[in-house]
Amino acid sequence: MAKNIYIGDIVKNEEVQKDYFLMKIKVAVSFETPSPGQFVMIRIAGLNDPFLSRPISIYSFSRRSNFCLIELLYRVAGKGTQILAGLIEGSQVEINGPLGKGFEIQSVGKNAVFVAGGIGIAPLSLLIENLSRRFPSSLMTLYFGAQHAAAVVGLNKPHKLCHDVNICTDDGSLGEKNLVTQAFQKDIKKFSPEDTSIYACGPKGMLVSLAKILSKSKFNCQVSLEERMACGTGACMGCAVAIKDKKGMLGYQRVCADGPVFNLRDIIWE
Amino acid sequence: MKSKKTSQMAVNLGRLKLKNPVMTASGTYGYGEEYADYVDLNRLGAVVVKGLSLKPRVGNPPPRIMETTGGMLNSVGLQNIGVDSFIEDKLPFLRKYETAVIANIYGETYDEFRKVAKILSMAKGVHALEVNISCPNVKCGGVAFGSDPKIAARVTQTVKGETSLPVIVKLTPNVTDVTVIAQAVEKAGADAISLINTLTGMSVDLKTREPHLKNITGGLSGPAIKPVALRMVWEVVKRVSIPVIGIGGIMTAEDALEFLIVGARAVQIGTANFVNPQATLEVIEGIQEYLAENGIKDINEIIGTFSA
Repeated sequence: MAKNIYIGDIVKNEEVQKDYFLMKIKVAVSFETPSPGQFVMIRIAGLNDPFLSRPISIYSFSRRSNFCLIELLYRVAGKGTQILAGLIEGSQVEINGPLGKGFEIQSVGKNAVFVAGGIGIAPLSLLIENLSRRFPSSLMTLYFGAQHAAAVVGLNKPHKLCHDVNICTDDGSLGEKNLVTQAFQKDIKKFSPEDTSIYACGPKGMLVSLAKILSKSKFNCQVSLEERMACGTGACMGCAVAIKDKKGMLGYQRVCADGPVFNLRDIIWE
Repeated sequence: MKSKKTSQMAVNLGRLKLKNPVMTASGTYGYGEEYADYVDLNRLGAVVVKGLSLKPRVGNPPPRIMETTGGMLNSVGLQNIGVDSFIEDKLPFLRKYETAVIANIYGETYDEFRKVAKILSMAKGVHALEVNISCPNVKCGGVAFGSDPKIAARVTQTVKGETSLPVIVKLTPNVTDVTVIAQAVEKAGADAISLINTLTGMSVDLKTREPHLKNITGGLSGPAIKPVALRMVWEVVKRVSIPVIGIGGIMTAEDALEFLIVGARAVQIGTANFVNPQATLEVIEGIQEYLAENGIKDINEIIGTFSA
């Protein structure tokens, strides 16, 4: 028996932009160091409505001498996240994690390209932090898209660590008025598939466009998916994603346990 | 808080002997290994694995789950690896434990039930079969087998004819009178009955006016269904003499004790595992505390002591 449910003490839970919150949680030192792309299931103990835990990807993690600090950057999207947003300093939450299979980061080419849509920046920020430490000579380029300037979050570390940060908004209130996928497509000739790794996280529409853009190329792209989950540990089979198997046949895999990171090419979009 | 003197917790479901009355519910515990990092499986009364069919099933398209007040809807559709892969890839892991393994089985035809039962009966390390005639999320079989007493009885007989293992029949609540089905499967030779499976429900997205589930309807589970489950277990216990296993919305030891008091010989913990992977252990410890606090030396002394 290796895993446990951790009691987390909230030390900060602030609204960084309207409907976007940054929660900092202290957990025991025995908490396993997460790899980028992994997530936690978070819940208020004993609550029956909502009673399912919420899956939230890890935005930042640090280890101190007598505790670990988990940071979650999240958007209020429904009842569960609304209640999380209302928690004050000193509140306690139950944390199960780190869960899932994160990004594969054994090697990175000359270029690392990140395509983020909205809150999809959260796991990519942790990835950028990790890769910049391990592969300091790689050039990191971020394409970030949001609806408007007030939804631009999570860029503190990318601004410091990326070679180039391209911001797009739907209404042009910040950065370029463009879709993030189009901004990336415009630049795609700057990169070559042989020495570029692409990582993406964002809404389904963005991932579908990215899949189309990359379909005729040889770029390798890992994406982190989001799905409603009940357990987060692979048991409930609720968070199914349609994946092409080796024979090209459809099969459902679990976003929580087989992912949340998948190869973009393996995903079957409806 | 642990009591100094631990009460006797073992229960018998006919020939099936369990070290305690707390089992996992099929479909909520994978094949055991999904929770083995959180729970010492040796502490459980039994592990009931995800429903197994003759061939692997891909399951239903997503979205498959939706949270509702005090519960959740699911329409997974019995996605599973099939009985052969279970025996080859999953059973060896479970054999390492000294906990009863109960294989939940599903078929679209009598013949499939027969074949799955036969294959599992020859596998080492399966202690009982639980016959799923109650899944609301599959087009063929499932609840259709469980809502007609004659068909339910025939499935039971079919499985019994292929196995010497104890056969538990899992009933659906989506019928007019569950006791009729319960009596039919008892007469057909079932060794035990488990109930309830999920209640059929649905949920609508107000933005799109579409169902939240791709399958439109799904099975409701979680604390919201516990009073219904308890009532049905109570009704069935009065009408059959074979052991009854209570299932439905059990989150805590108090919930489990209610089922035992109305006459369930054991309970299954399902959706609670999703929100608390260690729910089974907390239920076991909570029952032990209750017994100790009330000076009850043996769990069997409390079963069926309901006074109305």
